Amino acid sequence: MKEIRVALVGQPNVGKSTLFNVITGESARVANWPGTTVSKYEGEITYRGRKIHVVDLPGIYGLSTLTIEERIARKYILDNEADIYVVLVDAAIPEKTLALALQVLEITPRVVIVFTKMDMVHSRGIHLNLDGFSNRLGVPVIGLSAAKGYGISSLLDAIIDVAEGHYSKSPYRLNYGDLEPYIGSIEEILRLYSDKVKYPIRWTAVKLLEGDSELMDELRELLDKDAFRRIEDTIRDAEKRISESLQEYIAITRFSHLMDVCRGLVLRKKLPSHTASEIANIFYSPIVGPLASIGIILAFLIIAFTINTGFPLTLIMERLGFEEGAALLEHYSISSLMGTAFEYLGALIRGAMGEGPDTSLIVDGVLGGVGTILAFLPLIAIVSTGFAILEDSGVLPRIAVGTHSLLSRLGLSGHSIFPVMTSFGCNVPGVLVTRATPNAWERLKLILTIAFIPCQARLIVILALATAMGPLGGLLAILTYLIAITVFALLNMLMDKAIKHEKQVEILLELPPLHKPLPRVVWWTVRSHVTHFLSKAGVVILAASIALWFLTSFNFNLSYVGNVEDSIGGAVAGAISGFLTPFGIGGARATVVALSLIVGFVAKELVVSALLVSTGAETVNEAFRMLDLSPAQIASLMIFTTLYVPCLATLITIYMESRSVKVTLSATALMLSVAYITSLVIYWILSLFF
Amino acid sequence: MLIGGNATTLDNLSPGETGKVVRIDGGRGLVMRLYQMGFVPGAVIKVIVNRGVGPLVVDIMGAEVAIGRGIARKIVVEPTKGE
Repeated sequence: MKEIRVALVGQPNVGKSTLFNVITGESARVANWPGTTVSKYEGEITYRGRKIHVVDLPGIYGLSTLTIEERIARKYILDNEADIYVVLVDAAIPEKTLALALQVLEITPRVVIVFTKMDMVHSRGIHLNLDGFSNRLGVPVIGLSAAKGYGISSLLDAIIDVAEGHYSKSPYRLNYGDLEPYIGSIEEILRLYSDKVKYPIRWTAVKLLEGDSELMDELRELLDKDAFRRIEDTIRDAEKRISESLQEYIAITRFSHLMDVCRGLVLRKKLPSHTASEIANIFYSPIVGPLASIGIILAFLIIAFTINTGFPLTLIMERLGFEEGAALLEHYSISSLMGTAFEYLGALIRGAMGEGPDTSLIVDGVLGGVGTILAFLPLIAIVSTGFAILEDSGVLPRIAVGTHSLLSRLGLSGHSIFPVMTSFGCNVPGVLVTRATPNAWERLKLILTIAFIPCQARLIVILALATAMGPLGGLLAILTYLIAITVFALLNMLMDKAIKHEKQVEILLELPPLHKPLPRVVWWTVRSHVTHFLSKAGVVILAASIALWFLTSFNFNLSYVGNVEDSIGGAVAGAISGFLTPFGIGGARATVVALSLIVGFVAKELVVSALLVSTGAETVNEAFRMLDLSPAQIASLMIFTTLYVPCLATLITIYMESRSVKVTLSATALMLSVAYITSLVIYWILSLFF
Repeated sequence: MLIGGNATTLDNLSPGETGKVVRIDGGRGLVMRLYQMGFVPGAVIKVIVNRGVGPLVVDIMGAEVAIGRGIARKIVVEPTKGE
């Protein structure tokens, strides 16, 4: 039997992804909608012997072309890509969410309407007559609760029913009153071109009167000049006839029709109370709001990162004099425990196999790569959990509203607060939680620039380099941080100005009601982040680690060399050391610095150890003296290492999230060029004084 | 340009007050977005949060929506009594 193709349609917050996950389970996978960075979720389920393929269309509020998400969903529906469209209605806010269902019904009759969150309806004193809706709309209407897991089989039954042909053969019809004659005229003209116009004729006519510019452009190409002009004339006549704008008239007609459809079928016994939400109103307070928001996220991140590496709590403890406690905390942190385990394993293997290329491959290449991957897993799991709890409970969107005006001055939206703050700890989970941003363009901007935010590893490098600068070092460290953050903000502001996209400076956001986060939903998010990282990023990180190991352990004759300087990597370092000439560093010194920068690509902390190993020095101070680096050069090096490239794991995570090589390479190119220019400028300025 | 003696803009309503949408004074794109969110002439808005500065939070058709103040200034409403 043929596969049934189903598409899920619905407004954001209506519970679409929950329903999608419940139906498709393990088979769910994600890709990009072609030519975009918007996520496309697909999956399957086999029910009563039929294979049902489900696509989760992006959440949308209407079928115009205002956002990329709308364009994707609309195109999918108009191109007839699915056999059946399941439109979700939020049972707790039925009228508002049913509006979209009516718009879909005007295009196709192969629809099943689903009222989700039926479990919430009773406690809110709402009574819904689903059969009544079914009669008025002429399509199956199913009530279910994805969260509680009931009603799903009724939905699947209805899907199969419609797939077998039990539906009304003509699309639902709305009466547009005074506009009907004009709709009729346009329909007549369009019918002459039915071979070229693949969309439903009546729907197209209404959309043209509504002023849909994309459709107008499309038809201008498809139709004769004469026919198109007649359509334009008809629209003009309609505008003269109707006192309001056509857009307004159509919206009002749709609205009153919606109310007619719902009349008598939605009974409310209790007045909706917003008590739980009222507590959250603190987030909207102009001063307390942003503070509370940042405070909550900060508290969570401190806990998350402390569990992982002990930092920043260890730093605080050391400053307060609890050095022993700090050392203990660090020793028992997850990262440290894993590091110890891997060292032990490495030593075992070395003992068993002796020294040599094979041992090095396994210990440094493979084990090193696996270690890198595993090192990020606990952090990703913890951050994802916090993120999922904040998001599902409804707290995160409120934080976004509260911090929006502050962040919009930096070219960002309130939604970026969580990914930005996370990135100060580590860019890898930071990139992963850019999913907090519903807008695809904003998300892309974030993914391209978020690696500029200095993470823990870079802080270590900054501090290490600062110690070699004496008293000025501390000042320079702070300056470096500020420069990085400024660069990040400036780039975001510039990108908004340069690319005229659906920029939304002012917030217009629906807030889901506050509720206890569902453990199931939290688990799905965490599991999805972790398994994706393991399966997609993990494999690439391992391969890249082995490749890098090879490049830094073998020379061009493909024979194993014990040290980095003689390897292919060393030769590359020598080749690019020319770029350091404008900084006044040349020759062998430049090669050493270049080499440590190359190594730093794998993990920023390695820059310091690479410098020490190459020079044979014991401290950074000594290394800089041996390299004869001036304060200006050290300062520009500090800035360069902070900005120049995302670490390997971050780079691969960027690829994993954007699923685009172009985006990944652009982010890298952007960072390299900005880092080079910025550090060069700093060098010139500083060398005037030092 | 206001119609009728009562009309005002959404940002002028206090928490607890309700208003019926009269029209949206904005560009095509903004108007479309607002219609899609339910801010259609005839729809009833109830203000939940309005601190005079920063975004408003309103109830429209049972849903809670945060609106930037600049956008709220473009929504012309007629104050109504009660729910």
